Amino acid sequence: MPAVTFDQVTVAVEQDDSPHPKVLLDAVTLRLDQSRVGVIGANGSGKSTLLRLVNGLVQPTSGTVAVDGDDTVRAVRHVRRNVGFVFTDPLSQLVMPTGREDVELSLRRSVKDAAGRRSQAEAALARFGLLKLADQSIYELSGGERQLMALAAVLAVDPKVLVLDEPSTLLDLRNRELLRRTLAGLDQQIIMSTHDLDLALEMDRVLVIEQGRVSFDGAPAEAVAAYRPWCLNGLDPAATDTP
Amino acid sequence: MRGHGFLLANYVPGTSFLHRAPLAVKFLLVVASGLASFVIVDWRLSAAVLAALCGLFLAAGAGAKRLWGAVRPLVPVLLVVGIFQGWQLGAPTGARIVLNILVCIVAASLLTATTPVQQLLDGVVRLARPFERFGADPERFALTIGIMLRSIPYIAGTFADVRDSARARGLERNPRALVLPVFITSVAYARQTGEALAARGLGDAED
Repeated sequence: MPAVTFDQVTVAVEQDDSPHPKVLLDAVTLRLDQSRVGVIGANGSGKSTLLRLVNGLVQPTSGTVAVDGDDTVRAVRHVRRNVGFVFTDPLSQLVMPTGREDVELSLRRSVKDAAGRRSQAEAALARFGLLKLADQSIYELSGGERQLMALAAVLAVDPKVLVLDEPSTLLDLRNRELLRRTLAGLDQQIIMSTHDLDLALEMDRVLVIEQGRVSFDGAPAEAVAAYRPWCLNGLDPAATDTP
Repeated sequence: MRGHGFLLANYVPGTSFLHRAPLAVKFLLVVASGLASFVIVDWRLSAAVLAALCGLFLAAGAGAKRLWGAVRPLVPVLLVVGIFQGWQLGAPTGARIVLNILVCIVAASLLTATTPVQQLLDGVVRLARPFERFGADPERFALTIGIMLRSIPYIAGTFADVRDSARARGLERNPRALVLPVFITSVAYARQTGEALAARGLGDAED
């Protein structure tokens, strides 16, 4: 399994209304070498920032992130070949009018021959049972079909690591289950943020992120048990605002 | 988010003579149609060219519904242009201008309806190859065309969503409530697309 390492990683952004930068991630040090790693946390806690660092979409303000020894800043192109990234909304990710065209786009760099590209794209789509939908407009697909199409486009180039940023958030129960089963059958190392605690329980290791820090790192059941009360804290009716 | 077929028809798989025709021939047809719109001065000739192109579109098996879908979004604009030009320059000239615009739209739709996008992109790469010596990356040219084809329906869909949202709030007559959200969403979409391309290592210079 590839190892994703974070060494004292801090990400901070300038703020218009404050002289102090806003810290999105604070001195995070991790070594992720399990097959399935889950990341849970409240909205705005820093989950997406953590995941985007793995693919080089976000660069650390200080510290280093490496995938199998490749620095995500200095060797970003090489890292992106090895790290596939799936966004929450597949419509943000699918950049071609149909699924087949999008998968073929993924392959343009690695497969120069058009016929070879076509056959590889068909194989990638067939793997997820999407061949019958290959030529449909992406707007005509259901949310689940779109998410699987986005996944097929990313996996077509066979990355070693698959990073998914809340992939099930926009899906209904059936499509969520379909995605869960699909992910379970993949050989890649998976690092995934999610609000679906049942999905998090199926991981090998779960990180809980709170205000830019890793507040818990360990077994899924313990992570969920630690996260739930913290997350629900403050929902007591007595604590709510009154008009 | 809704997507809308807008101006250009999506590829329709098929085996018609137009599907099998070389890309260069179809591309020349589009260029010739564009040039014809400047050269033709008789509305009857424009109508004949348009009828011939529509005939080709239907012969390719792309269907009348798809043809209408490509033209429909432009109908209000064409009506305004036709009435204005007819009033200013006379009915025959107004009709010729409208028909010539339609000739260009149908010719371009003929190309996109009978050519897979990847084949189109390969053609763009070949066309842009001579510019490599000046530092241009042909793959980026192709990527730009591909993204353009995908973005037009997205932005049209955004406009429909924003219009519905404005209508629900009783703001359908407020231009700011229509234009500003579409503009902001389009900028956000451009950023997301850039991020999605970067995540897949697309758009980077060749190694």
